[in-house]
Amino acid sequence: MSTQIISVLVEDEAGSLTRMSGMFSRRGINIHSLTVSPSEKEGMSRMTIVTTGDEREIEKIEKQLNKLIEVVKVNILDKNTSVVRDLCLLKVYADKENRAEVLEIANAFKSNIVDISIRTITLEITADPLDIDRFVETMKNFGIKELFRTGVTAISRDIEKKSGG
Amino acid sequence: MSGGLKGTEIVVKCLKEENVKNIFGFPGGQLIPLYDQLFEETDIRNILVRHEQGAAHAADGYARASGEPGVCMATSGPGATNLITGLLNATMDSIPVVAFTAQVPTKAIGTDAFQEADTFGITMPITKHNFLVKSTDHLSWTIKGAFKIANTGRKGAVVIDLPNDVQQKTSKEYHHGEVKFAGYNPSIVPNPLQLKRIAQKLVEAERPLILAGGGVILANASEDLRILAEYLGAGVATTLMGKGAIPENHPLSLGMVGMHGRLGANKMINNCDVLFVIGCRFSDRTTGWGLESFAPDAVKIHCDIDSSELNKNITVDFPLVGDANLVIKDLIKFIKKYEDVKKDTNIWRKRVNQLHGMCEECETIKPNGKLTPENIIKTINDFLDDNAIVTTEVGQNQMFAAHYYVTKKPRQFISSGGLGTMGFGFPAAIGAKVAKPDSQVLDIAGDGSFLMVCQELATAMAENIPVVVAILNNSFLGMVRQWQELFWDKRYSGTKLGTIPDFVKLAESFGAYGERVEKASDIEKALKNAFDSGVVSVLDFKIESETNILPMIPPGGRIIGRIFV
Ligand SMILES: Cc1ncc(C[n+]2csc(CCOP(=O)(O)OP(=O)(O)O)c2C)c(N)n1
Repeated sequence: MSTQIISVLVEDEAGSLTRMSGMFSRRGINIHSLTVSPSEKEGMSRMTIVTTGDEREIEKIEKQLNKLIEVVKVNILDKNTSVVRDLCLLKVYADKENRAEVLEIANAFKSNIVDISIRTITLEITADPLDIDRFVETMKNFGIKELFRTGVTAISRDIEKKSGG
Repeated sequence: MSGGLKGTEIVVKCLKEENVKNIFGFPGGQLIPLYDQLFEETDIRNILVRHEQGAAHAADGYARASGEPGVCMATSGPGATNLITGLLNATMDSIPVVAFTAQVPTKAIGTDAFQEADTFGITMPITKHNFLVKSTDHLSWTIKGAFKIANTGRKGAVVIDLPNDVQQKTSKEYHHGEVKFAGYNPSIVPNPLQLKRIAQKLVEAERPLILAGGGVILANASEDLRILAEYLGAGVATTLMGKGAIPENHPLSLGMVGMHGRLGANKMINNCDVLFVIGCRFSDRTTGWGLESFAPDAVKIHCDIDSSELNKNITVDFPLVGDANLVIKDLIKFIKKYEDVKKDTNIWRKRVNQLHGMCEECETIKPNGKLTPENIIKTINDFLDDNAIVTTEVGQNQMFAAHYYVTKKPRQFISSGGLGTMGFGFPAAIGAKVAKPDSQVLDIAGDGSFLMVCQELATAMAENIPVVVAILNNSFLGMVRQWQELFWDKRYSGTKLGTIPDFVKLAESFGAYGERVEKASDIEKALKNAFDSGVVSVLDFKIESETNILPMIPPGGRIIGRIFV
């Protein structure tokens, strides 16, 4: 069982998100994250779904997605050849004693400070989801007050074809 | 404003362009505009059912009998929710049905208005697709798109939710020609390379077996299937939905497989060396529960129009997407090319013919002139002509019908396969009779099932739709009782119906013909009386209350495992 990223191009119709998520729940498939955003094509949105499953299960999901009328294209993204990003906003407890340490770690993870109060610091980080997981784990040591993640979005890299001589 | 059409005029115009001749429906406040539009319409017959479930099942039965989409309509709220069972029933059996549901006016949507239901949300998981029309401008596009989706690829039910104002407003927008969807283009043409490989496997088979599902009937591929089977010397077993895909009096026909399948058919599935499965989705009622022991030694070929069915329940050696009609036609062409390498299948063919002739399980039930389901259905076989249509309810009656009713042509055996809906058979029979008014139509029923929809006797009387209901009346919810007898220590909890109601009087109160039958010698006469009566009829066959339908694979069993006979 491994994590899989599925990128789906759908027509913007009322209910297409419900139809999509309904298909997952009806077939007993767990979704880790689902993001929806406009795409480069007018009237179409892109949904990025993260789920787990072996090759056969993913093939089944792909077929079921393709059956939905609004679904125009389904892509299973290869993690090795894709850029995968998640955005996280995290409010961590930081008082006088550990403030410096929090900032040091925040810096090491290349996260941005977006807000500071007397007792907390709010950080923003955009990165590979696994890096964010590590970031969140580390910050747990200080106590996390609030955590928001947008869910994964991903795009495949263009692999340049060598032009034969 | 000049020009333009009212929403309801657009609906009717589209229906005519889709060649719709009959609608089954039931009105209500929000649907009055459409009903009003149909009031003086002469080209479209508007059949008033007595419960919306009846409308959906009748549209379904109409579609199965005719091969054309069935159309039903219901008002908002409770009208729409009453359609639900019928819509899922159609979708699960891949039957094209288009349902119009009324909705509260667009500005009232979301306010919990009187008789508002989220029909779009409720019907999403039980239909092939659904639409909520928010503007009259989109109406014609939506209706044409709905018919296209319902009736192409793997067919199914489609709902069009019509708010009251969308029905009444006018629009100049009218979509001409075919509706195109960016994401819907069902591939029905089979891949020639894979076809070639499959053809090679088939000619190399010494013990070829075809398992035909409902897809063969839906694709109108039965005639070619017979030619293919004869050429290969292949036995042909069917699923419940595939009954009629090959004439069951054909010497290569082995009857139904599966949980209540014929011993011979199940046995041959496990003895074949090449299993060619077409238009079938390997439901658990077909395979039994031990998937790995289903045709364990055979090379498995699976063709279906829906690619998501391939390798879903059973992993096969040769999957192929395509319309059954095209697949079989092309296969016949390819196979003829391999004439010289074709294996001799004569020994196998003889075994198939033998098994065809001796329906083993029939012998375990001794006829002895009693009023048994077997005798009733055998008499029905002799009585009905070759164009007759038989529908069934669900339960023992359905399985008795599947075993003993000899279906000679496709679209003449109509039964709820996927959903197993009690109360389907009678309204479906009404729909079938509307589609084929010159055919005899008979519903093989159980007392429990028929009682669920008996109000449609009023529809059949008022609309002059003379179908015959033959109740195998065991005073029990027989199939559940059978399970309780075999697996639950005969604890008949909630299954005893007793002799309520008096079905003859019930029929007569509607003006229908009713007759009680208690002796085997009276079966034929009763059938004759019913069909001669010229009105919808109910025959109340009093069978023994604790009859079982056998053989049966116990729950959890496999088709070659322990079998009750
Ligand atoms: C709508 C519905 N409710 C419940 C069931 C479960 N069920 C399956 S068979 C059966 C008994 C059917 O009884 P009857 O119609 O009298 O037919 P018989 O089995 O006696 O021939 C029941 C309750 C069902 N299939 N459909």
